[in-house]
Amino acid sequence: MAAEPVASTTRRWWWLANGLTLAALGLLVGRPLLELILVGADQLAVGRPGGLDRATAGAALANTIWTGAAVAAVAVTAGTAAAFVTERTAVAGRRVLRITILLPLLVPGFVSALSWARAYGPGGLLDDAVGVSMPGLFGAAGVVAVLAVTAMPVAYLVAVAALRTQAAPDLGRAARVSGARSRTAFLTISLPLLAPAVVGAAALAFIAAINAFGVPAVLGTPAGFRTATTRIYQDLARSAGDEAFSRAVLLALALVLLALVFVVAADRLLSRLGPAPSGGGPAGPVASLSRSGRAASLAVWVVVVVATVLPLVALVLSALTRAVGLPPSPANWTFANLGEALGMRYVGALGRSALLASVAASIVVALGAVVTSIRGRSIGRFSAAAVLLTFAVPGSTLAVAMILAYGNALRDTLVLILVAYVAKLWGVGHRVVAGSASGIAVDPYRAARVSGASPLVAVRTVIEPQMRPALAGAWLLVFVFAFHELTMSSLLYGPGTDTIAVAILDLQQIGDVGVVSALAVYLTLPPLLVATALLIVGRSSASRRAP
Amino acid sequence: MTDSPALVCRSVTVDYGPHRALDRLTIEVAAGETLAVLGPSGSGKTTLIHAIAGFVPLSDGEIVLNGRPVARRGMAVAPDLRSIGLVFQNYALWPHLDAVDTVAYPIRRRGVPKAQARSDAEELLRRLGMDALVRRRPAEMSGGEQQRVGLARALARQADLYLFDEPTAHLDAAGRVAVQEEIAAARLGSGAAALYSSHDAGEALALADRVALLRAGRLVQVGTPDEVYARPVDVWAARLTGPASLVGAHLEHAPGRVVTVAGTPIEARLEGEHDLEGPIQLLVRPDWVSLGGPLAGVVGDVRYRGPHTDYRVDTAGGALFVRAAGTPTAAVGDAPGVQIERAWMLRADTSEAPPWTTG
Repeated sequence: MAAEPVASTTRRWWWLANGLTLAALGLLVGRPLLELILVGADQLAVGRPGGLDRATAGAALANTIWTGAAVAAVAVTAGTAAAFVTERTAVAGRRVLRITILLPLLVPGFVSALSWARAYGPGGLLDDAVGVSMPGLFGAAGVVAVLAVTAMPVAYLVAVAALRTQAAPDLGRAARVSGARSRTAFLTISLPLLAPAVVGAAALAFIAAINAFGVPAVLGTPAGFRTATTRIYQDLARSAGDEAFSRAVLLALALVLLALVFVVAADRLLSRLGPAPSGGGPAGPVASLSRSGRAASLAVWVVVVVATVLPLVALVLSALTRAVGLPPSPANWTFANLGEALGMRYVGALGRSALLASVAASIVVALGAVVTSIRGRSIGRFSAAAVLLTFAVPGSTLAVAMILAYGNALRDTLVLILVAYVAKLWGVGHRVVAGSASGIAVDPYRAARVSGASPLVAVRTVIEPQMRPALAGAWLLVFVFAFHELTMSSLLYGPGTDTIAVAILDLQQIGDVGVVSALAVYLTLPPLLVATALLIVGRSSASRRAP
Repeated sequence: MTDSPALVCRSVTVDYGPHRALDRLTIEVAAGETLAVLGPSGSGKTTLIHAIAGFVPLSDGEIVLNGRPVARRGMAVAPDLRSIGLVFQNYALWPHLDAVDTVAYPIRRRGVPKAQARSDAEELLRRLGMDALVRRRPAEMSGGEQQRVGLARALARQADLYLFDEPTAHLDAAGRVAVQEEIAAARLGSGAAALYSSHDAGEALALADRVALLRAGRLVQVGTPDEVYARPVDVWAARLTGPASLVGAHLEHAPGRVVTVAGTPIEARLEGEHDLEGPIQLLVRPDWVSLGGPLAGVVGDVRYRGPHTDYRVDTAGGALFVRAAGTPTAAVGDAPGVQIERAWMLRADTSEAPPWTTG
């Protein structure tokens, strides 16, 4: 119903907004995907790729599917457990723990992979300290582990949201006074109520994992473990030839089909499970910890430190250490890596990434506002659904489709990359903007209207001020994602249009650990610091507003 | 069952960090008795109920259920091991269970096999006249229906003590009546003790054998409904327990006891504290005063409410609220005078604002 105020603006605006949305959807997603399907069908018709190449593609796709499933299982288990610990027990350092769990959200996947390599790989922090490195870090095990780390924050957030919207403290209490032991209450009430959230989180983790490129590129490729995304990169960016090209197109098509099938299946399952429970009930004082609760909180703290904190520390230490193999003690510290990373070679890439990210963020926020303004009507609803689906389209697929649709006209230009960013991140920005719009009550708008404000004035004076934080948040989020984007950039860049993420990937393949670490630090730390500061400020102001 | 009280709270203290939610609260509920805990929001009603149920630890004091200590500082029997039925303010129905499974839940926990528990639950729901709700989930019920299922769940627990945490606070008038009737009927049937929290004086006075007034975590007064209504310990208690007017008056003991309002002697049934003298306040309930009498006053407001009519009569001692049966017999501006038939004498040291509270 919250859509009503803006939707009841003038008819002309409604047509304009709809037209704009549909045109943008068609240009950004529809035409490229159509092109991809046509070319793919064409290639298959002429018998390409050949049998051997199809087998290679099939193997890569199989790897993608099983790693995705494994990642979803690990991330959801860990995320749900962590949510229970931070929301339902008196864990020590709750606020710091929450922020630490969320850290990987703002660390690009390939930087997480690099940090794990620096922490637990051969010649890493652990190797220096006790002479042990993680077996299988380069290979399937490492890919699954790091992808799970990057997917866990989303699973955690979903579980936390579910735990908070349930009147769960009271629901659990009702079970206890009915005579259920705490374990029975957990199994019969808390867990079943979480089922929809768990399914949703698993779907998100699976989609994120099959879309991932940076992690398998850093940890899988050197060990010969290939997924669909790294195979596409290999075929498009690293080799020429018709067979390789056909294989890339085939894989791109298979990947998007996989994602869409999965999204639809998860949606079906979710609607069968029924709506997520909601309702009041103040979260009462947290119960004191039982022994098992204490063990669980300790375990979550350990996992978070091992998975997130130590690798980032290792990355920073690598950036500060003079040469690989030297222990990262202050005696061996240098600022040379950090200095070199700011040299002419990389400053251009950094600048291009910043420019692309800010333009993409501005366009996405504007589009988000337009689509939100037409929600509630049938075409508006269709547009919103389509926009959200674009996020499920894997970056690799989207990049291949962009090349097919606009490669001739825009080859080697920043515009090609920009178009891909906007298409991919539109859904992210839309979610934030639409989420905020749905929380805005209708009555203040009506009050403005009966006070004599025209629709536009009412939107500007009543709706827009309430949405401003969400618009700013959406802008920042899209900026950070675009700034960190590697998958599409690595397929679309040309001479003079490489982004900072691409530069890091190339340099990492050459093996300059110190400068790679320094660049990764530059890429990651500023957004992390800003976000942490915002989180702390936001939390405290939110708690001040609480009744 | 033994002769020991169903519930004894001895000097119960609960702290949320620096905030003291309950402060040395001592109350007792006899076997078969219903005690209403009446207090404004934030007075500690829910905390008291959560402490008795075992959801919050005590900082001090002791809780004894049927002669068995269940909580003191550093010791707490788990909620499932206390024999308690609880009806929640927010219903707290489980969204994934229909009414039968909800009511069967506590029966199952007693170790009754699933099929038996479900048929017992269905039987209970039918007995309570909820046949139509049997297969429905909370999302398919109105608030009143949800709360009646919540009540059935509590009854299915077959507890020694029932706790009601403002069960009607979120209901509309019709739902409120339905749930109150259900609770009264269930109490007559089971004979178990109950503690019923409310912020509504009418509800508390109507349902309870005794009423406890709670203010900022402290007990202000305990007594029968008539005691707390007719003899409140102070102005705050008077306002909490129903509509009341306060009139400035003067008390002299020589030669006999004489109370005057603006010079007019009051011939009324007067009760109150013993050592009063000089300026005092008279607490007058609207049903203790009638139109037409020696104390001069002008009608300032008339509200016809159906079964009765409320008047505000402005006297030299202050505004007096009068409730009389039937249709209005005086209009604004008339000066019928009033007759105070009964009053409760209080100290005049209050500095608080107008005396009318809704009831």
